[in-house]
Amino acid sequence: MEILKVENLSKVYGTGEARVEALKKVSFSMEKGQFGAVVGASGSGKSTLLNCIGGLDEADGGKVFLSGRDLFAMGENERTVFRRRNIGFIFQAFHLIPELDVEQNMIFPLLLDGKKPDQERVEELLEVLGLKDRRRHLPGQLSGGQQQRAAIGRALITHPALVLADEPTGNLDSRSSQDVMDLLCRASRHYQQTVLMITHNRNLTASADRVFQVMDGRLKELGGGQNETLS
Amino acid sequence: MKHYLDLIKISAGQRRKENRMTRLCIVLAVFLVTVIFGMADMEMRAQRIQARKTDGSWHAAFQVEAEQGALLSARPEIRRAARYGTLNYHLKDGYLLQGTETGVCGFDLEFQEMIPDARVSEGTFPETDREAVVNENIRARLGTGVGDTVELTTPGGDTKQYLVTGIAENTALTAELDAFCIFLNVDGFLDLYGEEDSADQELLYYVEFRPFCRIQQAIDEISRQFALSPEQVRQNAKVLMLMFQSGDLYLMQLYLVAAVLAVLVVIAGVFMITASMNSQVAERTGFFGLLRCLGATRRQVIRFVRREALSLCRTAIPVGAASGVLVVWVLCGMLRLMSPGLFEGLPVFGVSWPGIAAGAVVGLITVLLAAGAPARRASRVSPLTAVSGNAGTVHAAKKTAGTRFFRIETALGIHHALGSRKNFFLVTGSFAFSIILFLAFSTAIDFMHHAITPLRPSAPDLYLLREDQTNEIPLGLAEELRGYPGVKRVFGRSHAEFPLEGEGQNVIVLSYDIQQFQWAEGALIEGSLQDAVDGKGVVSVYRDGNMSAPGSFVKILMGEQEQEVPVTGVLGDVPYNYGLDADTGQVTDLVICSEEMFQRLTGETGYAVLDVQLRRDATDAQVQEIRRAMEEACGSDVVYSDRRIRNQETRGASYSMSLFLYGFLAVIALIGFFNIINNIAMSVSARMREYGAMRAVGMSTAQVTRMVVSETMTCTVFGVLFGCMAGIPLNRLLFRWLVTSRWGDAWSVPGRELMVIVTVMAVSACLASAGPVKQVRKLPINLLTK
Ligand SMILES: Nc1ncnc2c1ncn2[C@@H]1O[C@H](COP(=O)(O)OP(=O)(O)OP(=O)(O)O)[C@@H](O)[C@H]1O
Ligand SMILES: [Mg+2]
Repeated sequence: MEILKVENLSKVYGTGEARVEALKKVSFSMEKGQFGAVVGASGSGKSTLLNCIGGLDEADGGKVFLSGRDLFAMGENERTVFRRRNIGFIFQAFHLIPELDVEQNMIFPLLLDGKKPDQERVEELLEVLGLKDRRRHLPGQLSGGQQQRAAIGRALITHPALVLADEPTGNLDSRSSQDVMDLLCRASRHYQQTVLMITHNRNLTASADRVFQVMDGRLKELGGGQNETLS
Repeated sequence: MKHYLDLIKISAGQRRKENRMTRLCIVLAVFLVTVIFGMADMEMRAQRIQARKTDGSWHAAFQVEAEQGALLSARPEIRRAARYGTLNYHLKDGYLLQGTETGVCGFDLEFQEMIPDARVSEGTFPETDREAVVNENIRARLGTGVGDTVELTTPGGDTKQYLVTGIAENTALTAELDAFCIFLNVDGFLDLYGEEDSADQELLYYVEFRPFCRIQQAIDEISRQFALSPEQVRQNAKVLMLMFQSGDLYLMQLYLVAAVLAVLVVIAGVFMITASMNSQVAERTGFFGLLRCLGATRRQVIRFVRREALSLCRTAIPVGAASGVLVVWVLCGMLRLMSPGLFEGLPVFGVSWPGIAAGAVVGLITVLLAAGAPARRASRVSPLTAVSGNAGTVHAAKKTAGTRFFRIETALGIHHALGSRKNFFLVTGSFAFSIILFLAFSTAIDFMHHAITPLRPSAPDLYLLREDQTNEIPLGLAEELRGYPGVKRVFGRSHAEFPLEGEGQNVIVLSYDIQQFQWAEGALIEGSLQDAVDGKGVVSVYRDGNMSAPGSFVKILMGEQEQEVPVTGVLGDVPYNYGLDADTGQVTDLVICSEEMFQRLTGETGYAVLDVQLRRDATDAQVQEIRRAMEEACGSDVVYSDRRIRNQETRGASYSMSLFLYGFLAVIALIGFFNIINNIAMSVSARMREYGAMRAVGMSTAQVTRMVVSETMTCTVFGVLFGCMAGIPLNRLLFRWLVTSRWGDAWSVPGRELMVIVTVMAVSACLASAGPVKQVRKLPINLLTK
């Protein structure tokens, strides 16, 4: 089942001499449960791509369909509501709310949606994330890896159709990075969760189903992670 | 945690420091409004107490006949009605008690409820027409007591005997006139009145309306029903005004001005809270971006910011209201201290519920209004700011700083102030506002100075006057009285009138002692008083353009012989009306000299008037002693007057009003003060990182200081400029409205007020820069790298 479909996505920043074509007619699609990795040089347009897919930024051309709905055809408010139900974000800098403990941070998106958190689901996620004994800790009392795991929990709590992660391991050491990667993989396999992740670390693309490379605003599929390591 | 808004509660504890500014602003706004309304409320109460005491609580009086009176009393909106009439009000119609002119008042018992002066302090009110109450003067002078009989002689020569059933306190008027007065009941009064044939003496029906009755309408209806002319209806204007029941258009204007000022205060509060919240939002763009990123809609962000602001009210409003109440207590305490007898009815720890309610409501409204713009601003934060790392730390500079005319740090400071148009207008606007507020309100002070004449320092509590104006009060009496307990000062004036040489006009010569010369100093227009004190000449008084310039001579004919007296100075005004004939408008020249010179000129020793000022704790018994001494020394050819009650009333009115108005003015200056401190502290804390970076690249603390100071000064100077531009015309408008329309005084630029508020602004600007500068000094240079 096709979850994500991107058609001719373009994005231009600035005008005149400062004009930058960050994305040039990017098209691709992803099936449900796939784990995609995006690689590319700095400034090639990876974050721009992710932001447009996530509906955080407006594209200048092209379309993004998520679960068959056209993201850019929605109004601002509708898109926000759609986003919080269907897209989970994971950031390089974790961005947990410092005043809330792990569990509260995790359920926060549900509260924004006016929903009651399903306690079983919370317990299960905490278990999977290995944060059961840290649930009452504030972000400041956690290591970077633990913080990022809590952030993953926050992204997964709503059963989103798509999880977007912009360099989730960028601030972590290799050990924690591997933990985070394993978690994302497991989520992808276990919950049939579609994940699209940006990474600089080629080693981490090994577990990905598909690898995309962005070069100067253009997207090229490199094939599966295994293929990549073979070639 | 059940709801996303619970985050506010959870984070409140940790954000206490960040919220301090906003909370302080709310506290301040609530405090100010509580104080303003609390003071207005207390002032109203004080005025009401005073009005009841001096004018009584009656609302209106109608001159109607007996049958009409019965109908009138039966009207449903009337709570009380009582008949009242006087005879011999001017004390010259020939109603005599042991040979002394006596005023006669006749009224129903109910009348006492409406006029406190009519109360009987000892004994009871007459029940039959053969009974009477006598006043304190009669008791003191004739030794009459309850149970005695008094005999009143009418102008027709009849005598009436009354049994004294009670004693009444002196009123301001009877004390001042040293007058005899008796109270009769209406039957007794009518019996006496029956012998009087002038028809203009009739009974008035005094009424008090029920609460919530629309009094003006009721009065109109009654006038129509009984076909009364306006002269037959009296209104207790002061009490009605204080009940907001007066139809006086002028007073409506006054209320309007008060309302306008209250609104201005609210706007000032909104300005301050908006500014502080805006800076909060700017510091938290990353957080709001994250909220948006996690799926909060704009509306939810707006609700979040609003709710957060409101949650600050929970502690800020009680604190503001409590401190407001405290200040009101202090002010009321001062009022009671300054004028003890008068404001006894004023509660020491009175809680003004209207004040607190106004404070709370205004606090909430202000916060809601103020939170609007920052909330919208927060909601417009793009979710992208959460994704991109550098959210909100870099100010979006649109222009580069002009470094041509100033040193780099000064230029940067000015640039910081002017950099963001919107912020600049917000900050200078709020500074300007304090000035506008101050200038607008200062007209109320001008109004007060016209409306209420404060008690002159020279006003006597007791005085003794020779009616024929001969100088026969012995000088020794003054000396003797100075030794009496309860006496603060004794001073007299001698009086003489001589023909001037030639023209056929007269000149009045008056003597002052040193104390009186000192009091007159403020009124000196030209020349010197000292020469007159030393006996080298006289001081002339400016009257209707008549004056003798210093250096000229007054030529007086003393009998046959002529005396030339040099004029050493000119007084603009004296508190006495010698030589002013109110009926003909004729003015006689007046000169003042020292006592010693007066004796030299006239050969007379002695005073025509003797003034006594009493100590605050002087008792009635002591006053009686003084009076006895006066009578012993002067016999009965003098008029004795006790002005204590009158003075207290005058003093009380001006104290309470000036306390209220100056208090309000101080509050406005305080707004300006906090506003500047607040704004500067905020803008500095927002730029702390930038300053750290500048220190890192080699800026000295002195330079950073100059930068902060130049930013502050830029805002202050423009604020003052804008404030004057809008405030002076407003001042003029209000002045015309309040003062010119009533007393005809021309408006002039309010220089003194401007100086005060500009000084306050300047001082607060200096203080405002001092705090942050200290903070900057302590700033670690490596702040940026953290
Ligand atoms: N807000 C913006 N305004 C102007 N240009 C921008 C903006 N954001 C990104 N760009 C430009 O668009 C291009 C792509 O940026 P993008 O952030 O997508 O790169 P990236 O691949 O994520 O790089 P990195 O790996 O360093 O994060 C860059 O050349 C960048 O300069
Ligand atoms: Mg990037």
